[in-house]
Amino acid sequence: MSYTQRETPVLAELCSFLVQDIYGELASRVYSILARYGRQNLHQLVKASYLNRRQITLGLVTLVQSHLVFHSSPVSAVTAYEIDWQQSYALVRFGRVVKMVEDRFGKNASAIVGNLLEHGHTRIGDLKNAFFPPQDPIEDSEDEGVNGAGTKRKRTNGTHVNGTDTKVNGMSNGSLDEADHGAGDKLYLKTVDEFYDAIQLLMQQGWIMRVDETQYLSPGDFDQVALTQVLDARWNGQMPSGTKDKGIVAREVLAQKRSTRDAWAEPPQFATRKRKVNNRDHEQPNKRLKVNGANGWASSGGDGDFSAAEEQMPIRINREKIAVAMRTEQLVRLVEQRLGPTTARIYQIMLRCVESQVRRCFEEWPDPPIDSKKKDDEPPSPPCLYLVTAHDVEKQSKDFDICEGLDPHAVSKITGRSLDKSYKMEDPVDPIDLGHHERLQLIHAHIENLARDPFHFATWHSRAGHSQWQIEFEDIAKSLIQHEIENTVSAKKPQLGLKLIRALKKKGRLDERQIGIAMMMTAPDIRAVVNDLAVQGFIQTQEVPKVDRREAKHSIHLVWYDRQRAREKLLHDTYKGMIRIIQRIAFEKEKVQAVLEKAERTDVRGNESRFLGRDELDMLNSWKEVEERLLLQLFREDDLVAVLRDFCGPLVSA
Amino acid sequence: MKNEDGDAPGAVSRFDQLYDKCAASPPGTIFFQRDLSAMQVADTMEELLSLINWLCGQQLMKMMLFDNEPCWKIRDRREAEKLRTLTADENVIYQHIDQAQTEGVWIKALRAKTNFAQPTLNKCLKSLESKDLVQSIMSVKYPNRKMYLLSYLTPSEEIAGGLWQRGGDFDLGMIEQVSQIVNQAVERETCIRVPANWNNYQPTDRAAAIAHKKAHVQGRLRDIEDGVPIRPYKPPSHGNATRLVHRSNPTYPTASSLATFLNAADIMKGLKAREVDMEQLLEMMTLDGRLEKVSAIAYRTALNTNDTKTFNGFVDAPCGTCPVFDLCADDGDISARTCVYFGEWLGTESEEIY
Repeated sequence: MSYTQRETPVLAELCSFLVQDIYGELASRVYSILARYGRQNLHQLVKASYLNRRQITLGLVTLVQSHLVFHSSPVSAVTAYEIDWQQSYALVRFGRVVKMVEDRFGKNASAIVGNLLEHGHTRIGDLKNAFFPPQDPIEDSEDEGVNGAGTKRKRTNGTHVNGTDTKVNGMSNGSLDEADHGAGDKLYLKTVDEFYDAIQLLMQQGWIMRVDETQYLSPGDFDQVALTQVLDARWNGQMPSGTKDKGIVAREVLAQKRSTRDAWAEPPQFATRKRKVNNRDHEQPNKRLKVNGANGWASSGGDGDFSAAEEQMPIRINREKIAVAMRTEQLVRLVEQRLGPTTARIYQIMLRCVESQVRRCFEEWPDPPIDSKKKDDEPPSPPCLYLVTAHDVEKQSKDFDICEGLDPHAVSKITGRSLDKSYKMEDPVDPIDLGHHERLQLIHAHIENLARDPFHFATWHSRAGHSQWQIEFEDIAKSLIQHEIENTVSAKKPQLGLKLIRALKKKGRLDERQIGIAMMMTAPDIRAVVNDLAVQGFIQTQEVPKVDRREAKHSIHLVWYDRQRAREKLLHDTYKGMIRIIQRIAFEKEKVQAVLEKAERTDVRGNESRFLGRDELDMLNSWKEVEERLLLQLFREDDLVAVLRDFCGPLVSA
Repeated sequence: MKNEDGDAPGAVSRFDQLYDKCAASPPGTIFFQRDLSAMQVADTMEELLSLINWLCGQQLMKMMLFDNEPCWKIRDRREAEKLRTLTADENVIYQHIDQAQTEGVWIKALRAKTNFAQPTLNKCLKSLESKDLVQSIMSVKYPNRKMYLLSYLTPSEEIAGGLWQRGGDFDLGMIEQVSQIVNQAVERETCIRVPANWNNYQPTDRAAAIAHKKAHVQGRLRDIEDGVPIRPYKPPSHGNATRLVHRSNPTYPTASSLATFLNAADIMKGLKAREVDMEQLLEMMTLDGRLEKVSAIAYRTALNTNDTKTFNGFVDAPCGTCPVFDLCADDGDISARTCVYFGEWLGTESEEIY
């Protein structure tokens, strides 16, 4: 089974809560049936639940529209449904995705992304109509079908989806409600041109991809399809018998899957667009778009439009890109903790520079390692390097003090000013006054700090552009996982736990005496920690008998640490922690239900202070605080999930 | 032998002469026949041999073989005196223990080599111990093994555990003290304490600089009333506090440099730290998170600018450190509804369990 598709009861429960939160009870009922029974067709679903066929179909439509379930209709006669766990879990990240897009590409893009997230996918043309309702009132009826299905999916028809729409919008963070009112007095997406610009930018950066029917195939079906394609193309539809040939087929299947997937995210040729969007420019999208916005509506009729084919293209968010962005944020946070805010800011610039090149954090279908015995004529594809030069960073670092966070000696050497005894600059330096070369050197010093850190946030690559640096994401991701496991253990068992885990990681399997030597402690002091951590599943113990009879006295007792196991255990626990938070939110909400209902009455809303009593207001405020706190914690746990799950493939040989 | 005994009175001075000449060279020196004859105590080779024989008989010299060539070492007079009083059995055992030198010999191995019965062995060892010729120690490697070695030897690292151990256990107090000192030393070498206002520049009159400085000042005063959007990464507002940063081009301390430093400081009551001892300590401190490795041999202080105790999303929530996390279920006595930890954390009431 696909690694990403392995589900645990805990994840199933968590996702059911999330679906219920966002898509309501019916969808969540259907979802939970699928979660319990696994892959089912419609008939089986009806049998397994108390819902009738119509209700189930309705629920399924919502789930399909938002890509929460896979279905096999493109390839088989009887459609089977299966949950897409990754997408389901991603529900918790909606708010964060909008925020990340806004940080990178501005409000215009984030409004589009917010809409796409809530509706699953739409055609570009329909999305445009949602933001810019056609002037002709007759066409309003067509607007109903904004979220209508792409042409390929006959199951999803527009009305059903729109039935859930009101609910969806109710959960949104407000930006959409505003958007639905059309192009009135809003601050973003003022013109259709801006809309097209944003879509184009997002597609070129890989945040939005086209919807393809193969995306609806569960990993198993997808594998079948790829296999059939490969066999048809090269092997006359027959599975070859030899071991070597089978190996080749397996390799080709993987290549087929990769190419199918890469085709999804390939941005279309925006041939009709006259102005090319500059990739490097996205740091200040607002400014750029406003310049263009001066054209206003006039331009929208002419060269600004996409071709009809592009208007018809259904699009959705690319989940892999979100993980990439989350990795950036996570790494920047870590650098801030370790090396201070200024260096973190520089690292952020570096990471965002390469972000557009990074399609995904890890390859889900990597080629199996080639046997060293037979060196085929096909050379292994060169590893993808993510390179940034100090020059690139320098251009974007004008708005903060790049002298901070460095050793004053280094700064004084670069700027040629002297220090006094307490390391104060005798002649203070304003970083804005510094020359280009001096700034480059300061940036270089920051990046050197990054490189020297045990995490090796950057690695020297060449001298191009003053200094060119490579970011080795895979190794960093592994260290990140280790770091989070260590964090968890040190919170649970201050001091000793961390030391123990690190000792075991470094030295492998150890018996009690060897642990003692590594940690420089006596065995009895360590025993309790070993026990606790073994019970919690972070380390493993093992008994190797020395004699035929298994006797404790005549056995070697070993303790070891497996990063992958600890990672999965922690991931599981984190999912469970998230469930508890969601449950607690529900419980806290239940306690103030009466007040909430009153506060949400249309006449009370906006005039809370007039209609609600003092204690009611207090309750409301404290509930808001509690909810905020719990939600914040939920999102922080999501950060942890991202580190543990999304940045790095399974660590099989670790 | 009798002949030699008869000659003894006349040769006493000769014995002493030879012994003294040997004792004059540094202790532990090994003498070959040519070395002894070069001392020109005896007139002939036979006489020399008889002298040596007598000294060996008196336990003042110990005969050994090196590349099938006999060689000798002298013993302390007092020790020789004690050895002369030994019985034959005790002597055999002593020889075996002597052979093992600083590695020590396990009592069971001793029995296997000598084929003595356990009581005899015990008796002999006891008498040897009472004469202060051998000592018994616990092996660190095998805590249940009693090892014997000569009393004037210090046990090897294999069995005694090196600098940081006392009687088989780690000397935690000393380790802590020394590691603190080492930590400070490493910090001095690799870090620098920078005052907050080290670069107190005046803003230029350019618009950007003004906005920049404004944000800077506001960040410092922590003026939260004024909701001016400041830069996402404002300079850390640590007031007058100083902050540690890594030096730009330090000479990173290594195990050998720190060992030299520690020995020069002489804080361990005359004990000397070797490079391997220091390596062990530094490795341990790296595990601890106090140091970090920058290369195969070099270390530096691990900085954590974030002083607040936050770990990650999971453990900062009550669930992460909950003692009954595994018992917690969707409903029942232990659940999110009844959780006292959540109640404490949020300052709200949880459901009572009856």
